[in-house]
Amino acid sequence: MTGHRPHGFTVCRKYLSVLLLLTIGLMTRAQDMPLTAIGNVAGVPSELKLSELIAVLKGEKLRWNDGTKVSIYIMKTNTPIGQNTCKKIYDWSGDKVKRYWLELSFSGKADAPTFCNTVEELESYVSQNPGAIGIVDRSSTSAAVKMILIDGKNPF
Amino acid sequence: MSEKRKIIIFYAIFLGCLCFSHKSFSQRTQIRGFMDLSAGLQNNKVSFTLGEQDLFITSELSDRFSFLGESVFRFTPSTPTTFSVSIERAIVKYNFLGNHNLLIGKHHTPINYWNDTYHHGRAFFPTIYRPLLFEADIIPLHTTGIGLQGQNLGSLKFGYDLMVGNGLGSDDVLDNDKRKSVTAAVHIKPVEGLRIGFSWYNDLMSAGSKTHEGKLISWDVQQNLISPSVAYFGEKIEVLAESTWALNHTDTTGTKQTFAGYLYAGYKIKERLVPYVRFDRLHFQEGEILFDKNNTTSIVGGLRYHINYLTVVKLEYQYERTELERDINKLTFQIAVGF
Repeated sequence: MTGHRPHGFTVCRKYLSVLLLLTIGLMTRAQDMPLTAIGNVAGVPSELKLSELIAVLKGEKLRWNDGTKVSIYIMKTNTPIGQNTCKKIYDWSGDKVKRYWLELSFSGKADAPTFCNTVEELESYVSQNPGAIGIVDRSSTSAAVKMILIDGKNPF
Repeated sequence: MSEKRKIIIFYAIFLGCLCFSHKSFSQRTQIRGFMDLSAGLQNNKVSFTLGEQDLFITSELSDRFSFLGESVFRFTPSTPTTFSVSIERAIVKYNFLGNHNLLIGKHHTPINYWNDTYHHGRAFFPTIYRPLLFEADIIPLHTTGIGLQGQNLGSLKFGYDLMVGNGLGSDDVLDNDKRKSVTAAVHIKPVEGLRIGFSWYNDLMSAGSKTHEGKLISWDVQQNLISPSVAYFGEKIEVLAESTWALNHTDTTGTKQTFAGYLYAGYKIKERLVPYVRFDRLHFQEGEILFDKNNTTSIVGGLRYHINYLTVVKLEYQYERTELERDINKLTFQIAVGF
């Protein structure tokens, strides 16, 4: 009696194990997801160093070299792309990124980014606003959006 | 130059800037608020305290113009409703080139890191209360006037502020004398999280004017404030050290020196949990006539926990020894939120 477990329990354990492995796999994928930098065709350069991208996304550069205003679009920090952006670009948690921007924008030093719900929404903003830069996980098909090479790579 | 002529020139500059800012633009406005509540134990008595309610508006008015407004609602026993509203900041910013801006309005005087970085929302303060340097009115917290600002320039991320405004004894609508206050500040950010700054403030407080606390000044006081500051907010360690060396000169008393400063240090045990300490010192020279001479030393020890990025709780003990009053021992708990 003691050495045997019911059949239902064994099946349930198998399903749980598979589910756990899938979850871990998805989490690992979210953390390692390659990112793509996209920009509006007006103002935004076609190539940036990673250090320059980080400076731009931290609000340290207010205008591109041609004078176009920089506007930043990133995914909400509770989305997998947003989490990956926080980790890869800022090397901070999502909460710290939001706090950083709240502090910076209300000290009057820079305009806060727009945090988007979907990649489509982000692409739409970037395509409509000269000088806009955004971080997504895929190439864009919009003619008003260009891919930005980061350290010669995209995705990076 | 007459006041009327000055106003005409000001508007001409303003309209000129508007004309150069003609690109099509979709306006974006954000409204946010901050609030804090606390409970304190002092003299064997617990008191609950309603803090300030801080309302923020930021708006991108055009490709180059933006607005920032900060209004505070606070307990004021002298008013019929026991509350008052004050405009703490109202700034129109014109980004004229790269990282260089022209600012017009009522500002936090960019005299040191704390005043330049933190607003009235307590959720961002590293401690519950401001350092004594602020509470004792050593530095002018606000300046209404015009300024030039640059930031993140070059590899050292050099920044500057040059501001001219209504000086000491003036208000937000009228200067009480011809002299303008001048603030010149520079800083660098050589590595992530580190900011080293230095500022100089100069003004003349005319005889017959009143200080921020309502004290009547009977002599012309020439004031110079020199303020170095170092701030480091790293992954684990937080250090903020600022001081102001104030030189107040009158023809009768000569130059009297005041030193005010503080050192804050915190250590992140976890990302959300930070124990911290702060040491404050105010030292006035004998014969000081502008500030209230009350040499003070204070030690603060506390614990800060970030529930999330908009909700922060702090528990803090403060011991304060002053020259004129009894020692203060108090324990304060505060919850500060953003919404």
